[in-house]
Amino acid sequence: MQNKLISIQEAVANYTWDGMTYCNGAALPVGSCSIAFGKEMVKQKRKNLNVICHCGSQQVNLLAAVGAVDRVEVGFSGLEVYGFAAGLNRAISSGETLIEDYSNGAMALRFFGGAMNWPFVPATVSIHNDQQWCSADYLDEYPCKRKIPEITDPFTGKKYGAFRTIRPDVAAIHVTMADIYGNAIMLGTEWSRFEMSRASQKVVLVADKIVHTDCMRQYPNLVRIISEVVDAVVYWPYVSWPQASPGLYDSDEEHMYYMNKMMKTQEDTDTFCDLYVNNWDSHEEYMALIGKDKIEKISQTATAFLMDPYKKWIRSDAEIRELQDRTKG
Amino acid sequence: MDYTKQEFMAVITGREIKDGELIILGVGLSMLAGYFAKLNHAPNLRPFTEGGVYGSTPVGGLPWGIECNRISSNATSFTNAIDALGFLVLSGRADNGVIGAAQVDKYGNVNTTGLWDDPPWKAGRYNPPRIRLNGSGGASDIAVGCKRYLIMVSHEKRRFMERVDYVSSVGFLTGGDSREKCGFPGGGPAAIISTLGILRPDPETKEFYLEAYYPSTTIDEVKASTSWDLKIPQDVKIVPEPTEEELKNLRTVDTTGSLRKSG
Repeated sequence: MQNKLISIQEAVANYTWDGMTYCNGAALPVGSCSIAFGKEMVKQKRKNLNVICHCGSQQVNLLAAVGAVDRVEVGFSGLEVYGFAAGLNRAISSGETLIEDYSNGAMALRFFGGAMNWPFVPATVSIHNDQQWCSADYLDEYPCKRKIPEITDPFTGKKYGAFRTIRPDVAAIHVTMADIYGNAIMLGTEWSRFEMSRASQKVVLVADKIVHTDCMRQYPNLVRIISEVVDAVVYWPYVSWPQASPGLYDSDEEHMYYMNKMMKTQEDTDTFCDLYVNNWDSHEEYMALIGKDKIEKISQTATAFLMDPYKKWIRSDAEIRELQDRTKG
Repeated sequence: MDYTKQEFMAVITGREIKDGELIILGVGLSMLAGYFAKLNHAPNLRPFTEGGVYGSTPVGGLPWGIECNRISSNATSFTNAIDALGFLVLSGRADNGVIGAAQVDKYGNVNTTGLWDDPPWKAGRYNPPRIRLNGSGGASDIAVGCKRYLIMVSHEKRRFMERVDYVSSVGFLTGGDSREKCGFPGGGPAAIISTLGILRPDPETKEFYLEAYYPSTTIDEVKASTSWDLKIPQDVKIVPEPTEEELKNLRTVDTTGSLRKSG
């Protein structure tokens, strides 16, 4: 097996490009998401993205706020109890970002279909409503017949909607822990990360912890993302901040509200980027921005016990640095 | 007794939830109503979230999201979207669900996607909304798949519409047998629980009428807060106020007091 550890800068440079179809981890709005990867995409000035979110998060909120998103497909675009996603909604209302809506269940099925390499999947949801009749690709057609065309079950004659499946160019998927080859364990709901990892043409894992492969051998049933489908592994503790990573840290309530408030206007988004996106390179600098007290606070999570079985396999920062150096040309 | 309209709505929604049901709960009011019911009168309720978090009870306050750590510290299982929304909801297996709404119409169709000056059905075109909301999330799946479901919404004229700007989650579509013809596995909305009363669908027309209103309001106020010509049956009832026990249990679940803050 190949050691796939690379830096976050290399991962974004090698696996993202302007105009691509990008998945940001099948995250949920408060939970696991490869947010630091999205910040690095902003730093490297990616634009004209087609983002497939499943659920939105602070990552697409930021990407849309800086004007990097032409089109987005979602089941849900908000930040749950933290409110509407101000940056994304600003881009949608101005017409800068086109939004294609489905239900969350339909998004999961479309990833499943993509993983199977099927052209479409049948379903009874997102039909007979405006998710079927409004399309970002055919704005002038209402009710649209081409987004989710009607099909007939050849066995019963019953009518279903045919849903285009999803084969993104790249997915940057947050995982709790991975080994250097790309085997990964996720704590908390996996949402659609399992299907997404098989549907995407390239997969970059962004892991809070790097563990020995012996950990995977101890709990092989829990390894839902396998090295076979993974192209690169990035080690980035607190990658989901200000969102949560079950077992490791809670969402940062103060920063969740602050970040969303800053996304409301272009000017404040620029200020936010100056403060939290463009002024770090190393992980140490990133951690300094979160702050020691905050790290301590969010790490005192009631879910911490979930990590107990895995602790003995966690690799140290020094070990990981050495392993990462070995992948450099 | 001192309580807010939001608290009343949560208690009334909770009363609609039966012991032993397999129920899918969303963030905010939905979870509060569900976990209130579990504590108050439905100890064998089987709640889960669309992320596939099973067997858990919130710890430390109202969860920030359906996958928040506050709902993830005592789960018996974490699965995924295709399991929760697909295998348990869209398959027709879940008994009940609770969803919210920015707008609802007389047939229980719900909009949570956006607000338009000129909605797509009027414009004949999908223009950007004046205000983007959240989209349907799993509510659309709940509306299609659950055996029945409950809609919770603040009772205001701008929310109770003759026709919503955008149908995110289907109710009874255009009424009558129009939903039945679509062949959805689920049975449709059982009630709209608002901050003023309880609305039920007429068994034939599927138009929602006022079954009961809260003691703090009047029929005139309910009608004035509804854009369609709300039907009031002869035997319209007054909803019994929350009991002390119910309020105590609700506040045990709502430890951070979110329903008291929101008036």
